[in-house]
Amino acid sequence: MPIHEKSLIRPENLAIHEDLTIEGVDVSGHWSTFIKSRAVTDYNEAMEQEIAALPGGEYIHRCWQCGSCTNSCTVNAVNPDFNPRYWIYLIRLGMEEELLRDKDIVWQCVSCNKCTYACPRDVNPEGVMKATAHWLELKGHTDQKPSMAFDEIFSAQVFATGKIEEGRIIRQFFARTGQSLFQDWLLALARGLAKRLPVGLLARLGFAALFRPRTSGWGRAQAAMAEYLGEQQAARRSALGIEEGAKR
Amino acid sequence: MRPALVVGGGPAGLSAAHALAAMGRHVALVEKADTLGGAPILTGYAKLVPSGEWAKDAIGGMVRRVEGNPLIDIHRGTVVKSFSGEPGAFRARLSSGPELEVGAALLCTGFTHFDSVNKPEWGFGTYPDVVTTAQVEQMISSGRGVRCPSDGRAPDRVAILLCVGSRDRQIGREWCSKICCTVSANIAMEIREQLPGCNVYIYYMDIRTFGLYEDTYYWESQEKHKVKYIKARIAEVTSDGKRLIVKGEDTLVKRPITIPFDMVVHAIGMDPNVDNMTLSAVFDIKLEKHGHIAKASSYTSMCGTSRPGVFVAGAATGPETIDDSIAQGQAAAMAALAQLHGSVREAAE
Repeated sequence: MPIHEKSLIRPENLAIHEDLTIEGVDVSGHWSTFIKSRAVTDYNEAMEQEIAALPGGEYIHRCWQCGSCTNSCTVNAVNPDFNPRYWIYLIRLGMEEELLRDKDIVWQCVSCNKCTYACPRDVNPEGVMKATAHWLELKGHTDQKPSMAFDEIFSAQVFATGKIEEGRIIRQFFARTGQSLFQDWLLALARGLAKRLPVGLLARLGFAALFRPRTSGWGRAQAAMAEYLGEQQAARRSALGIEEGAKR
Repeated sequence: MRPALVVGGGPAGLSAAHALAAMGRHVALVEKADTLGGAPILTGYAKLVPSGEWAKDAIGGMVRRVEGNPLIDIHRGTVVKSFSGEPGAFRARLSSGPELEVGAALLCTGFTHFDSVNKPEWGFGTYPDVVTTAQVEQMISSGRGVRCPSDGRAPDRVAILLCVGSRDRQIGREWCSKICCTVSANIAMEIREQLPGCNVYIYYMDIRTFGLYEDTYYWESQEKHKVKYIKARIAEVTSDGKRLIVKGEDTLVKRPITIPFDMVVHAIGMDPNVDNMTLSAVFDIKLEKHGHIAKASSYTSMCGTSRPGVFVAGAATGPETIDDSIAQGQAAAMAALAQLHGSVREAAE
């Protein structure tokens, strides 16, 4: 491309009047094109602190932009837009709007940790990717992923009873993610159970579903976990300036 | 035995004078300012790299050691007007009148700070809150703290621009001044310690915190003090009437930046001493292409100049650290001693 700057013009920055006449001269369409400034006009110093407050993001300030993380990245090899080095830079200078352009690929990190071992400054880029994906979700920039809904239902049940009851997890997960309970594989499973009729197993399943037993002595462990989780979540909310009771 | 002439009372000159006197030599120490100590004392540096000692204590100790030495004659507020003769038998006439017979001369004449008005696009001299690293050193060493000169407020955001007066063909400075990266990291950490709410940004082309300064200054400033480094050469510093506006290109995001700052600090480089042309004429020595005093072969004639019997040490030969200037002062003293003894032996034979 003869003028490389042309590649930097973003469609949303083009301002064109479809119907414009100035002093009798018709300048409709691309004749009236203006390109809005790309200049960064301020740094948002809170952004780095917010990401640093989330687990994995603690060492983001160490980054000196060598690019070892991006060079070693498994996902970058497949998708060149997946660029941890660049995102770390955007976060450090608080270029939020720029980061949000990539909000739908940040979560693609596969946690292979090649970057963790390549980073000469121990930034822990893999942790930063996790923290960033988490930040995007906490701030409401990205929707909750189905896997996150599953994690929440699963852990809520463990916290409540100290054990899990698969039937209930499946029902709640399908309900929360708006999926039908009549999945082919589930129907096949039910038919198989009905054919073989394992009386003992069905009795235990029925008991667990009806009476929701708790692990004995679970109360104390539950209280300790609740206290710890409460502290962690409050710390994150306050670091990110999110109101109590808002989305986790 | 004739004394040695040491020109310049900074770190290199103080070190050379002390070393010569420690070997039992008489020394005439000529300093053009009224005070000994050179740039660290005359400019008012704060904490030195890498010791962290205050300049007035560290270099002050060197000054006291020289002032208390009976073998060293100190001529303050004095320059050498003429210099002639042969190695072992030079005559140096001082501006204060006397003509000295000396066996060797050591030029420890140092450097001159770059004058930032020569880069007018970066606002020095136009906006009061654009200052130099030398001025920030003074703010710290005076105990007044880092404040915006315009209204005395503590800055919320400071930009340090590296390579001001260095690595710039536009103004005929094609050298790296070597120390400014480390000094800037040092100052940035000092600001962050004094004003924890103040964010410090360093705009760089390359970071050259050489040797052991890498982790102790560059890494430390990032990791412990959260100083931010941005790869951008600033185009201009202007003002919106309230704050300074730093304009440039952030090369890593390929976007122009116009960022408001409370204070902009120029990391000024080391120019050849403004008196080098005069020194070159008086001592009949050559200057190298940048205007520093030219060294003879580094390998076979330690600290030599183009004229036998005249030696050079420290920042007179190019940008130099205080520690290395001190070491070179001692090396020059060693070279001068060898030459002085050689003259004595020749006379005896």
